[in-house]
Amino acid sequence: MAEKAILYDAARCTACRGCQAACKQWNESDEGEGEKTTNFGSYENPRDLSPKTWLKMEFREVERNGKVSWLFSRRACMHCTDAGCVKVCPTKAVFHHELGFVAYNKDLCSGCGYCIEACPFNVPRLTGNRISGIGKMDKCTFCTTPNLDRVDNGQEPACVKTCPPHALAYGDRDKLVAEGRKRVATLQANGNSNAYLFGDKELDGLHVLYVLAEAPATYGLPINPKVPAASVVWQNVMQPLGWVLGGLTIVGLGLNFMVAREARLTKGLPGKKEE
Amino acid sequence: MEAMVERYRKPTRILHWVHAGAFTVLFLTGLILFVPGLGVLAQDSWTRILHRAAAVVFIVAPLIYIPMNWKATVRGIKDAFTWGPEDLGWLQAAPSYYFLADEKAMPPQGHMNTGQKMWWLMAIVFGLLFVATGIIMWLFKATLPGAAFLWAVFVHDVSFIAAGNMFFVHVYLSVAHPLMRPLSQGAWASMSRGKVPVEYVKSHHAKWYDEEARGKEIATIGNRR
Repeated sequence: MAEKAILYDAARCTACRGCQAACKQWNESDEGEGEKTTNFGSYENPRDLSPKTWLKMEFREVERNGKVSWLFSRRACMHCTDAGCVKVCPTKAVFHHELGFVAYNKDLCSGCGYCIEACPFNVPRLTGNRISGIGKMDKCTFCTTPNLDRVDNGQEPACVKTCPPHALAYGDRDKLVAEGRKRVATLQANGNSNAYLFGDKELDGLHVLYVLAEAPATYGLPINPKVPAASVVWQNVMQPLGWVLGGLTIVGLGLNFMVAREARLTKGLPGKKEE
Repeated sequence: MEAMVERYRKPTRILHWVHAGAFTVLFLTGLILFVPGLGVLAQDSWTRILHRAAAVVFIVAPLIYIPMNWKATVRGIKDAFTWGPEDLGWLQAAPSYYFLADEKAMPPQGHMNTGQKMWWLMAIVFGLLFVATGIIMWLFKATLPGAAFLWAVFVHDVSFIAAGNMFFVHVYLSVAHPLMRPLSQGAWASMSRGKVPVEYVKSHHAKWYDEEARGKEIATIGNRR
């Protein structure tokens, strides 16, 4: 099946935060009541992603060509192809959906939180007790939360559905990449020389693509994001080596048992049974 | 009636079994994270609680043992780091002994033979690595940089692979190897009741017998076990 994606156009976004509300409304967080609004000198709210806030809009005041520019961007799971969280999750609670993005089965989560450090975008959030270790992770599920699965029912994710200026679009990833490139070209033609399509190539392709009027760093996005080296070395080198060593140990001990038993019988030495 | 020699004192034996029990729980609750299909057992954090409870035992047991058995601790650590020509000899003779039951080339061994010493050294080194990285993962997840946490996970896993494999070898050589007679002499006898026959000590730990154990025989009546 063709991979699906969300295209976010920061140049079209009005930061109404309808997506933020629609996300919460549809996904019915099981982590209790909503979050209190606190003023910290910005329209931005709440301050950070949380187990209850899987998607939030960010507001930035940036100087561009001598003028103040108010830039908006979206902050949620980027649904990477080369996903650090999928790489390190021991219970396979986070996994690649057949449509390419990173789905999540909360029931399976053990609360280890490895995904939090492994995520190049600092997206997963953990609830729970640090001393006992009981906990659960939360992040955007691309609206595929079990029993609340919109995508499986042929619908677009809740954030896309609600977006008034059509800054969000849902569809085949290939088509959205082509559309994104077209919009970036238009932005560049209109004097936004740093316009960029984020997610086209990053981490082998993200399933949330950003049309940006400025360079990614201006929006607080990492340039050339990578899965942390420790996670790659751990999962791609150490784990396979561990299995090889474990297999060799067990085969080696089995061989030793057979050879040594034969030698004992040949030499007529006493064994365990003769005690 | 057979003369016996004490190989491990009671506190040492208790520490061994408490630690072995804790390690087994830690090993199994860790292992399920790496066996495909068994990861589901870890859902809802219950294996994490077991892992942490066992970790507390794993850390506290030696902390109780060490001050109460200071002399034995110093001696044990010294043993782990004392290596001599008889260890090289053991390594050369070990394959033909453990595979072909050929004892001739085996040099006289101390209180621990070279293989036991390797396992003991690994237990110290990887035990400390387990504890250090485990504490980082448990208590400093929120305060340390992400990379430091992930490298701690990595080192924890390296320790798991090394110590886990050697754990199999240890159990196998203690109770399952065809040449071992764990109940009457050797592993089981020395770790359960603490005493082994003097004849066994003379043949398997001659260096220890000559240097320390000679003259410390305990006479037991009747059943040698």
